[in-house]
Amino acid sequence: MNPLWQTLRTGLLTRSLQNLFRLPAWAPGWPVLRPEGLSHTVRRELLELCPSVAFAEEGGEFRLDLAHCVLCGRCFQTFPQAVGELRGLEVAVTRREDLVQRVDLATGNFVDPGPPPPTRAELHLPTLAFREVSAGNTGLDDTEVALAGNPFHDMGRFGFTVVASPRHADALLVAGPVSQNMREALLRTYQATPEPKGVVAVGNEAVGGEVFAESPQVAGGVDRVLPVDVYVPGSPARPAAILHGLLLLSGRVQQMLVGGRRVRGKPEQSPKAS
Amino acid sequence: MEALKQALGSGRLVALWYDAPHLHYLVEGPEGSPLQEFQVEARGSFPSLAGEFPALDWFERELWEEHSLVPEGHPALKPLRNHCLPYPFERVEGLHEVPVGPVHAGIIEPGHFRFSVLGEKILHLELRLGYQHRGVERLFQGAGLERARLLAERAGGESVAHALAFCQAVEAALGLEVPPRARQLRRVLLELERVFGHLGHLAGLFTDIGYAYAATQVGKVRALLQGQLERLTGHRYGRNALTVGGVSFDLDPKTQLEVRGALSRLGLEAEAQLLSAFKQPMVLDRLRYVGAITPAQARWLGLVGPAARACGLGRDLRQDDGLYQPFTPVLRAGGDVLARAQVYLEEVRQGFRHLERFLTELPPGGGWVDEAGPSQEGELRTAFSRVEAGRGELFYWVRLQGRRVEQVKIVDPSFKNWRALELAVRGMGLPDFPLINKSFDLSYAGCDL
Repeated sequence: MNPLWQTLRTGLLTRSLQNLFRLPAWAPGWPVLRPEGLSHTVRRELLELCPSVAFAEEGGEFRLDLAHCVLCGRCFQTFPQAVGELRGLEVAVTRREDLVQRVDLATGNFVDPGPPPPTRAELHLPTLAFREVSAGNTGLDDTEVALAGNPFHDMGRFGFTVVASPRHADALLVAGPVSQNMREALLRTYQATPEPKGVVAVGNEAVGGEVFAESPQVAGGVDRVLPVDVYVPGSPARPAAILHGLLLLSGRVQQMLVGGRRVRGKPEQSPKAS
Repeated sequence: MEALKQALGSGRLVALWYDAPHLHYLVEGPEGSPLQEFQVEARGSFPSLAGEFPALDWFERELWEEHSLVPEGHPALKPLRNHCLPYPFERVEGLHEVPVGPVHAGIIEPGHFRFSVLGEKILHLELRLGYQHRGVERLFQGAGLERARLLAERAGGESVAHALAFCQAVEAALGLEVPPRARQLRRVLLELERVFGHLGHLAGLFTDIGYAYAATQVGKVRALLQGQLERLTGHRYGRNALTVGGVSFDLDPKTQLEVRGALSRLGLEAEAQLLSAFKQPMVLDRLRYVGAITPAQARWLGLVGPAARACGLGRDLRQDDGLYQPFTPVLRAGGDVLARAQVYLEEVRQGFRHLERFLTELPPGGGWVDEAGPSQEGELRTAFSRVEAGRGELFYWVRLQGRRVEQVKIVDPSFKNWRALELAVRGMGLPDFPLINKSFDLSYAGCDL
């Protein structure tokens, strides 16, 4: 096959900004609680049903932690009256609370955690260099970070690059629940990164430990070890969701999830290629 | 003990695990003779065989660490995953040492490599892993089957193979018969994962030798292939698709036809790209004679999967799988990076052929069997299973109490193959290391568990 002909025939693969954050029709979305359907029986069955313990009931509140959701879609398929589906990949947030839906059972309303804090202005730069640190993840979050640079997602168009040394990096992408054996290496990588520096927790395991949360061999989340600027949920986090997190860090998009739910209306800004 | 030594001398260790108070040695004889299981009682200590059979080295160190069983007479007893204990590296007098890792320059998992070099030439390499240790096997203890399946999917780099090996072990323990349709759909996912993985290894090799065009083209096919896996299962890596007793997804005839068509187009494209890349003198010159393993070394270390098949030995568990017949394992003789790359290439082509066949004649019926039945009594049952994952033979052993997992032993193919890297780099230049490492492309998480 002639490489030149093949290249011309391949054409443009990069997903447009409109399609980038769209979830394919066959992939289940994120669950969203519907307070009106949360009867006592349904709540008990949801707690029983979820294999990854994303639901919890405590102190008069029913909670759904998106960072513990493995996206099997079983909850909204079994109990559509109590759990809806949130489709889309603009799921990165700056605050851990914004991935947790809390329903006050006495009033039947969502608990509002208040407006999310803004991202740090000193990292609102046209280009950002990242160093990826894998700290106890399965290997798939790494693959997804690498795939965020492939021709389909093309992180380069936003001015993002992955660099070999933390000394050349503006931010760290940390994947995995931070195993005890990686703790020191992660801290020293962070120390080697020049100020101002950001930290992005990539994937459920990095956000809150997911299925490894109970293990004594892991810290159970990057924020137990380092200050985290952006959390990207997903099991593993999808490349587009990672890109949303990076755009959020660089101040080019707004956070879409507040208190685990999509903020009403379209955001004023849309991502701009630099 | 003598019988065990004899079996190990002519065969290959599949797994070694501790089900108190017995050590279980599972040994595969030469040329597909049946598996032999040996039990040795061990309380506090057991006689080490690592001096005679190096393939047992890491297994014995693991037992020492996990179960406090002392392997008596072990030639170099040091920690494997426990980083709290001091780790004495093998030092060679007069040689310069180059430490690499645990945080690497690329986007990969962590591990430490200690090179002893003379100028540019690597004379010795010692691996120190365990950075990815998350205590997976302990988390299995007391877990229900659903949760255990989630853990299995996250134990190593290959979600489908791990889930399949775990489900098969549980099904064997509970005596469940999986419907034919589910068995075939599981093979579809397994082959998709294998081809996805192999294309990743090949794209990585092309990147490392600076052949960006082929890396991009192979990467494109790989991304589109991943789209098809997602189309089938709703997940980019096939997680949540397998369940004890069958599969949790099904195909309508339209999807089946579309996926088959898309895969056959991707198969043709991958084949054309790879065959033309492997005709380039630049590619062949860079890969040939680099990082060679001899068949004797491969037998000595008990290598599995593509790494062993590139040395002209080793088996493919798919040979014994009725669904794959007729099946001939891909063998190459060189043992170098080129041989491993050619094994990947041929297995990609083979994988696409199997996918086409599996998706053409899908048996009718349900995809799932109800797992009620004899399992409720709370009795103890044990079973093991093996799956040919992309990187080689994956082993799971489970002990169930009713419907809860009491204990599990996972042997990822990477656990057996990592030592090969130490031998493959000897005498090579330091800049060849990334290429040689990529040609094995082992899972750190699967090894460290």
